[in-house]
Amino acid sequence: MEKKWEELTPAEKQEELFNRWLSPKDPQGKDLKFQSPQAEKAYKERVTRLKDAIQLKKLPDRVPVFPMLSFFPAFYGGINTQEAMYDYEKLAEATRKYVLDLEPDFQFGIGLATPGRVYDILDYKLYAWPGHGVSPNSTYQCIEKEYMAADEYDAFIRDPSYFFTNIYFPRIFGKLEAFKMLPNLTTTQEIVFVGPNIIPYGLPPVQEAYKALFEAGAEALKWAGAVGAFGNEMASLGFPAGGGGFTKVPYDTLGDTLRGTRGIMADIYRQPDKVLEAIEVLTPIMIDMGVGAAKMAGNPLVMIPLHKGADGFLSDAQFKKFYWPNFKALLMGLINEGCVPLPFVEGSYNTRLEIIKDIPKGSTFWTFDATDMAKAKKALGDVACIGGNVPTDLLSVGTPQQVKDYVKNLIDTCAPGGGYVVSNGVAADDVKPENVKAMIDFTKEYGVYK
Amino acid sequence: MAKQWEEMSPEEKQEELFNRWLSPKDPEGKDLKFQSPQAEKAYKDRITRIKDAIQMKKTPDRVPVFILPSFFPFYYGGITPREAMYDYDKLTAACKKFLLDFEPDGHLGTDMPGPGKFFDILDYKLYSWPGHGVPPEQSYQANEGEYMKANEYDALIQDPSNFFSNTYFPRVFGKLESFNMLPALTGILEMYGVAYNFIPFGVPPVQAAYKALMEAGNEVMKWVGAVMAWNMETTALGFANIIGGYTKAPFDVIGDTLRGTRGIMLDMYRQPDKLLEAMEKLTPLMIKMGVGAAQMNGKPLIFMPLHKGADGFLSDAQFKKFYWPTFKKVMLGLIDEGIVPFPAAEGHWTTRLETVQDLPKGKTLWMIDQSDMAKTKKTLGKVACLAGNMPTDLLTVGTAEQIKDYAKKLIDTCAPGGGYIMANGAFFDKVKAENVKAMVDYAKQHGAYK
Repeated sequence: MEKKWEELTPAEKQEELFNRWLSPKDPQGKDLKFQSPQAEKAYKERVTRLKDAIQLKKLPDRVPVFPMLSFFPAFYGGINTQEAMYDYEKLAEATRKYVLDLEPDFQFGIGLATPGRVYDILDYKLYAWPGHGVSPNSTYQCIEKEYMAADEYDAFIRDPSYFFTNIYFPRIFGKLEAFKMLPNLTTTQEIVFVGPNIIPYGLPPVQEAYKALFEAGAEALKWAGAVGAFGNEMASLGFPAGGGGFTKVPYDTLGDTLRGTRGIMADIYRQPDKVLEAIEVLTPIMIDMGVGAAKMAGNPLVMIPLHKGADGFLSDAQFKKFYWPNFKALLMGLINEGCVPLPFVEGSYNTRLEIIKDIPKGSTFWTFDATDMAKAKKALGDVACIGGNVPTDLLSVGTPQQVKDYVKNLIDTCAPGGGYVVSNGVAADDVKPENVKAMIDFTKEYGVYK
Repeated sequence: MAKQWEEMSPEEKQEELFNRWLSPKDPEGKDLKFQSPQAEKAYKDRITRIKDAIQMKKTPDRVPVFILPSFFPFYYGGITPREAMYDYDKLTAACKKFLLDFEPDGHLGTDMPGPGKFFDILDYKLYSWPGHGVPPEQSYQANEGEYMKANEYDALIQDPSNFFSNTYFPRVFGKLESFNMLPALTGILEMYGVAYNFIPFGVPPVQAAYKALMEAGNEVMKWVGAVMAWNMETTALGFANIIGGYTKAPFDVIGDTLRGTRGIMLDMYRQPDKLLEAMEKLTPLMIKMGVGAAQMNGKPLIFMPLHKGADGFLSDAQFKKFYWPTFKKVMLGLIDEGIVPFPAAEGHWTTRLETVQDLPKGKTLWMIDQSDMAKTKKTLGKVACLAGNMPTDLLTVGTAEQIKDYAKKLIDTCAPGGGYIMANGAFFDKVKAENVKAMVDYAKQHGAYK
C-alpha cells in the first residue's frame, strides 16, 4: 500500500512532487496528451535535467537553461506591455512564438504579465501599469508607501486576515474602501452575537464593494483559464513551466508592500521587537502560501523574490537578526513539504553567502543577479543548485558573442560537479532577441556533461 | 479642553462611558428626547443607582433591581419564542409590555432571541431554534460538536479570521459552505498575487454564498431597525438597557462553539500547550470585541457569559492554569478601556471565589447564579458588585411570599456597604409572573439605604 502524504519524509515528498511534475495532468485530471512522442520525451528530459541539477545526486545530461523573462515574450512577439496585460490571446500568441522559436528548457507561461482589467475594476493603487500611470510600452511600477502605519503592528499580529481585509485592502483597492466597515468574523460565536455581527453585509457600500470583487473575480477566472490553457499547451509541446508557486521572505512581505522600505528601516531601530513578532506571525502563512500553490500546480518549484536582505540594505548583524532566521524557517517549511524553494536573489549577496549555506543539501535552487558566481559556487556548491547572473545590460546592449563569452565563463566556473543552471540575473523585458537566443543555444551546445 | 480618550486614565474612561450612558443619543446623534421629565429622572436615577453599586465608592440610594430573562418576556406577553424570533413587531410589543408591567432598574433589551429568518437564510447549524429543530414554544439550543478539529489549533493561532471565514463558517453555516474555496487574503502582496487570489470570487458557488450573506445582512438590518427603535422608545420612557456588548473568556470561546465540551476537556490532557497558546491568541481579540461594542453603544457594561469554569467542570489546578489567567487578562484589558466587565457565573462558583477576587475594586459586576452568597460577599464581594442568586426553581414553583423571604435574606447578606443588585441568578423562560413582580417590588420597598 502506498504511504500517505503525512507519512512521507521530506525527500520522499520532493520525489513525489517531481513525479507529479513529470506526469502533467489535463484540466479533467487525466494524463496530459502530448502532441508527439518527441514532445513527451523533450518534456521529461527537461524536468529530469533540472531535477538532477537541483538534487546534486548525479550530473544532469547537460546544464539546463532557464531564462527568466517578464515582458520579453510580448516584445518578441511585437505587442506592447499594455496589450500583454489586456489581451490574453495576443500575449499567448507572442509567448508561443518565443517558446517555439527559441526553445528554452523552461517557460513562464502568460501569467506574469497579469490582467490589467482586474486592477481597473478594483481601482488598484499599489501599482502603476501600462496605460494607467506608465506608458503602454513600459512595465508596471510599484508605488511604495506606508500602506501599514507604524502603530499597526499589534493589529496585524493579532489577526492577519482581519488586518488585510478591513484595514489594508481599503487602502490599496479604491473599490474596496467599504471593507473597513466589515466585522470581526471571530465575534461570530454564540447565537446572540451572530446576527448583529453580520449587519455590515446588509450595508449598500459593502454590497457594492463585493459586486466589484465578483466582477474582478470573474475577470481573474477568465484570465486564469487562458493562463492554464496556455500552460497545458506548452507542456504538451514539451516545455515545462518554470514555477509552481510563489511566496516571500517574511521580512520582505513586511518591507515591500506593507511598511515600505523607509518604514521597515525605521522600525528595526524604533520597534525591533514588533518587527520580529510580526515576522514570526507571517512565517507559517508564507510557508502555507508556497506549499499550497506548489501542490495545486503539481510542480515543486516555489519562487521567492528576495529584496531587502541584499548587500547594502542591512548590516551583517541586522541580516542575521531580522532577515535570515525566518527566511531559513520559510525554506525549511517548504522543504519539509517537498517543495524546492527558488530564491530569486536580486542585487548582490556576496556578504550573505556564508550565512545562507546552512541549508539541507539538494533541496534548493538559487538564481543570482549580481553576486560573484565563483564565490557563490564555492560557498553553496556542495549544498545547493545555483544559476543566474547573465546580466540584463549585456542582454540589452551586448552582442551575441559577448553573451556567449559570458555564459562560457559561467559554465566553466559553476557547472563542474553539477548543480548549475544557466539563467539571466533579473527578469528581462526589452532585451535583444538574438542575445536571449545566444544564451539558450550556447548552453545547449557547450553545457553538455561528458 | 477635554482630554483625548488615549490620555485618560482607566478611571476617567469608565466615568466617561457612564456619562455617555447617562446622556443617550438619538440616531442622528442628538440628545435623546425623553417622554417626560419624570422619565428622564427615572432613567438617570436608575443609571446612577447602578453606577454607585458598581463603583463601591458610596452606597446607592437603594439596591438596584435587574430582571435578566431569556424568553420570559415573550411567554409573559402571550407570544411564542418562534414569534419572538420571526415577527419583529410582536417581539418589541411583548418586550415593551414586560418593561411597563415590571419596571426593573435594568433590563437586557430585546435582541436576545435574534432574527429567525436570518438563521434560515444562512442554514445555521450551530443551533436548533423554535420551529427549526425544537418546538415553536421552546427556546433555542446549541448543537454541540467539534466544529474545530483537534488538529486545527495551529490554523486558528496562525490567522484567526482566516480560520473563522474559510474553515469554521463552512461548517456552521450551510449556505457558506463554499467559503472553504476562499483564498488566504494575506497572499495579496505583490501585483502577481492579486488576480490569482481573487479567482475564487469569480466562482459561482462563492458568489452565491456571498449573496446569501448579503441577503442575511439585509434581513438583520430590518431586525436591527426594529430593535433600535424599541431601544430608543423604551429609553425615552426611562428604562435602562444594561448591555453595552458581549465578550467571552477565551476558554469558553474554544470550549463552547469551537472544540465543544468534550473536545476541550481532552485537549487539556492531550495538547495543553496548544490550548494555552490559542487562548493567548484569542485574548486581545476578545478584549477588542468588548471595547469595540462598548464604544459603539456608548455604554460601559460588557456582558460575559461564563460556562466551563464553574465548580465541577475543572479541578482547582485546571481552573488556575487554563481558565483564570486569560479570563483575567480579558477583564483587565476591558477595565483599562473604561469598561465594566459583567461576567455571569452560571452554575456554582463557590470554589473559585478565592481566585477570582484578585481584581481591582469597583470595576466589575458579577451575575451570580447558585454560588453561596455569604461566601461570595466575603470574598469577591469585597472588590466587586454582585447581582443575582434569586433561584429559577423558586421563581418557577415558589410563592410570592417565599420570594420575598429569599429577597430579604439576599439583602441582609449582600447589601450592607453597597455593591449588590437584586436579580435572578440564571436566565429564565417560563416562571410565575407574580414571583418576578414580588422580587422587583421587594427590592424597591425594602432595599433603600438609610
